[in-house]
Amino acid sequence: MKEVVVHPERCVGCMQCMIACATAHSKAKSLFAATLESPLPKPRVHVGVGQYDEGFPNRCRHCDPAPCLLACLPGAISRDLSTNTVLIDPDRCINCATCAMVCPFGVLRYHEEGSAPPGKTVAVKCDNCIGRQEAGLAPACVEVCKSGALTFEELSEAMRRKTNEISRTVSVAAEPQDLSPGFSLLNTMKKSLIQVRTG
Amino acid sequence: MAYVIIGNGVAGVSAAESIRQLDRDGRIVMIGDETEIPYCRPMISLVLEGAIPADRLTMRADNFYETMGIEPVLGRRVDAIDVAQKTVRVGGDTEIPYTKLLIASGADPRPITADGLNLKNIFFMRTQAQVRDMLQVLPDARRALVLGGGLVGFKAAYGLLRRGLNVTMLIRSGYPLSMQADETAGGIILQELRRKGLDVKVGTEAVAFGGNGAVREAHLFDGDRTPCDMVVIGKGVLPALSFVPRERIEIDLGIVIDRHMRTSAEDVYAAGDVAEGVDVARKTRWVNAIWPEAVTQGRLAGINMAGRPVSGEGSLGRNVIRIFDLDILTGGVVTPPDNDGYDVFQTFDGSRNTYRKLVFQGDRLVGVVLVNDIEQGGVFLSVMSSKTPVTASREGLLSRKFNYKQLLK
Repeated sequence: MKEVVVHPERCVGCMQCMIACATAHSKAKSLFAATLESPLPKPRVHVGVGQYDEGFPNRCRHCDPAPCLLACLPGAISRDLSTNTVLIDPDRCINCATCAMVCPFGVLRYHEEGSAPPGKTVAVKCDNCIGRQEAGLAPACVEVCKSGALTFEELSEAMRRKTNEISRTVSVAAEPQDLSPGFSLLNTMKKSLIQVRTG
Repeated sequence: MAYVIIGNGVAGVSAAESIRQLDRDGRIVMIGDETEIPYCRPMISLVLEGAIPADRLTMRADNFYETMGIEPVLGRRVDAIDVAQKTVRVGGDTEIPYTKLLIASGADPRPITADGLNLKNIFFMRTQAQVRDMLQVLPDARRALVLGGGLVGFKAAYGLLRRGLNVTMLIRSGYPLSMQADETAGGIILQELRRKGLDVKVGTEAVAFGGNGAVREAHLFDGDRTPCDMVVIGKGVLPALSFVPRERIEIDLGIVIDRHMRTSAEDVYAAGDVAEGVDVARKTRWVNAIWPEAVTQGRLAGINMAGRPVSGEGSLGRNVIRIFDLDILTGGVVTPPDNDGYDVFQTFDGSRNTYRKLVFQGDRLVGVVLVNDIEQGGVFLSVMSSKTPVTASREGLLSRKFNYKQLLK
């Protein structure tokens, strides 16, 4: 099973994932038509800024066990085992915000949604683009990400690669090496700009 | 193996499910005072309000007991526990033996002392049945009186207001939700409630009720009288533990539990509103009678009863509630005692009506109050639960741009 893996050190904060996500969850599935829809489609991945303006694509981790799933009052949250996705049923959701209270990552938002009953405010979060996956497509945020901050791959494969990368850097003989020098440079520049500005 | 679970609320249900995951064959007996299929207690006010039908309250399928292989003993309260003989007595003479016992009997509404409590149309709001009774009198009711400005009192008032009644709320303290919110948030809430037509009287209490058969008026502490044709009492809850042998099982306010949900008696566990564990923010024993805690404790109790020693990190008092156009999320120590090593950071934005307050003890976050912009509240609460030191700038935490990344390097 492929899953979305986040590589925060590679995020430049361009927010294209947010646009792609909102579009993927629109009725029209095209950006320009989506902007005319009501309710306006909204992203379910949220690019936040760090202390030094670094970007960070914050999306649902689909935790297991998931605190939101356990705490949901009306039992509106469930897990799809085939894609390991924590899903919210907008019809059962009562907009009580208990999920926001227990989510350690702050990924929930509350608004009207194209897939919810009309006029109803519901909890909304990443659904791993489960519809796109059924059609053989990768989640929209991954597809659009240009910097490799979001990948869609077997978790075991991603972990093996990361383990190898780390193990090459920890030996006493190894030169200290930056695994993503371009991104580190960008983030260093952002940090110095802020430090210059704030003294 | 015979597991006996006292209580069919969410703590008991979560425990039963965890046990069944790990032990397919053990006997599970569930004793419940309420006869309905396990339902979601915090949602009963939505039925009062008319937002959902009663059949939406169930939290598990109709055949829950059969599919989980549970023997339900419903409609009866436990009389006594014999810790030496390892039995539970129900309904006078039925003795149910246990190998492992879970007490998840929950809580009962805190009773009040006042004259005329025997009059009709005076309600507690704790169970589905009580809400059903309230719905019966709604068509003829015009003026409702709600005692208490806590979560239950508030939810009752909100529901009755939405049903078109004139509602008066009596609060003994100076502002609503005084157990959950600080004074500033309480003031904002009070203003919002009044703006939406709720008559709120603070600093007062009802001392007697008058009427001929059914309640017609309430006599207040200060001599005032308020007409009303129904009353809802929401003065908090107390752990339901009248059947627990105090000389054998340690009780403070609730049943004292350790990190494995064990009580002081061997093979007896407790979870949910009846249990008293350690509160991570207050750093002392505390009963946190809230739904998510009941789920967590029930689950942990079940896993431990089935023989896997798993420990919890302690509980954290927290609540989220939407009040008309206000969203309120609070947790931990919201009003720290003066000069006691606490640092308070707060910000108020009048134009957006947002208020954010963070209480620190050194580099540990121990309290949070959010009025509106509550989406990141869980991040703060999770940092509190895990006792993670917070070095990020306090201004950044108070900013509406705050997000998870601000806590990372």
